[in-house]
Amino acid sequence: MSANAIEIRGLEKSFSKFKLGPLDLTVPTGAIYGFVGPNGAGKTTTIDLIFGMGGKDAGSITVLGLNHMDDEVRMKQQVGYVSPELTFQSWGRVGKAIQFVRGFYPSWDEKYCERLLDAFHLRLDDRIATLSFGARIKLNLVLALSWRPKLLILDEPTVGLDAISKQQVFTELLAAVGEEERTVFISSHSLTDLERFADYVGMVKAGKMMFEGPMTGVIERYRIVDFIAKGSADFSNQPGLVVQSRQDNRWRVLVDVVRTPVEWIQSRGATPISDSPVTLEELFVALGKD
Amino acid sequence: MTEPKRKLLIPPISAAAPGALYQQILDGIKREISEGRLAPGSPLPSFRGLAEDLLVSVITVKRAYEELEREGIIYRRQGLGTFVSDMGHGRSREVKKTRARELLQEAAREGREAGLSDREIVQLLRDVIEEKEELVHVRKRN
Repeated sequence: MSANAIEIRGLEKSFSKFKLGPLDLTVPTGAIYGFVGPNGAGKTTTIDLIFGMGGKDAGSITVLGLNHMDDEVRMKQQVGYVSPELTFQSWGRVGKAIQFVRGFYPSWDEKYCERLLDAFHLRLDDRIATLSFGARIKLNLVLALSWRPKLLILDEPTVGLDAISKQQVFTELLAAVGEEERTVFISSHSLTDLERFADYVGMVKAGKMMFEGPMTGVIERYRIVDFIAKGSADFSNQPGLVVQSRQDNRWRVLVDVVRTPVEWIQSRGATPISDSPVTLEELFVALGKD
Repeated sequence: MTEPKRKLLIPPISAAAPGALYQQILDGIKREISEGRLAPGSPLPSFRGLAEDLLVSVITVKRAYEELEREGIIYRRQGLGTFVSDMGHGRSREVKKTRARELLQEAAREGREAGLSDREIVQLLRDVIEEKEELVHVRKRN
């Protein structure tokens, strides 16, 4: 078993209006990895490329130690996929959809499936067409979790879910990675939930990774610092500082303390006002703005 | 891995509560140890078990355990799990005491800034302690 469930190196793909990469991404085995980024940053493109939907221009993608193209079938036998775009409406009832999907997977776990249906308040005789949007996403999750794939790739699985449903989903994902060796890769805008439930986080913006690493490490690496600059000192071009707002000589900056320690600002004669930790959401907004 | 029979009484881990999530877990476990509900030698839940219980990521629990290990409050045995160390009780009391001292220092500073005399500040602390006792009393009666 390889140490990493997904390894992307130097991935590039150009479209007429958008270029992804070069992009490096590492998802350790057994982790819940939150893949975040503004709309149109390249999250779904990356996921599509992992599954071989559209050819890449450059780079490599290794999934569960397998080359995603050369070993495509073996890879797909072990990777579950969930997206709100998947609809199983034509199957009529929940039970029928389950019966159909189960047939493809010898590893289908009947008991686990029942427990998930119960947890998500789904019934075998529910008509899929009458299910709410959220309930359909939950059905998607049941279909993907029940055969216990080694890796689960979820594209926006909590979009449109209420707070209770979101918590149910994350609870099941935590339980899923509770068994060693299972990995969850999840692209989502539920930043508060991700900060709580995800072990690793990576942010993509305009096709490039802004940061990646263990959640606690990433969050603690950044501070938001308010200060009054001495005279007309300029702080706008210092690497590791992202200016958030400025009124005359009063500044608010996001500081990447690995690149520039907070003390550096004082060493330039500035008077500090406050120095606060960030949440994932604040970090996302601070780095996501153009 | 041996799981403890009784679940830890850690308050809900919430982004709305002060301190980082791992810090809240750390404080919760220290309280369990310093108040004697977790005796020296008793096992702690596994990372994954506690993560599922508290609905937080495994890495958050791991972070809290690493900190406790660094402070000598718990120790890890490869393949067996994590246990409260013999010094755990004393250490977590000590840590709590240091923290209480820091908070009182801050309270004293706030009091002085409000123009209170030393006597008034001490009286304030007495009032707070008595209030707490009253509260316990009321709860018992109900």
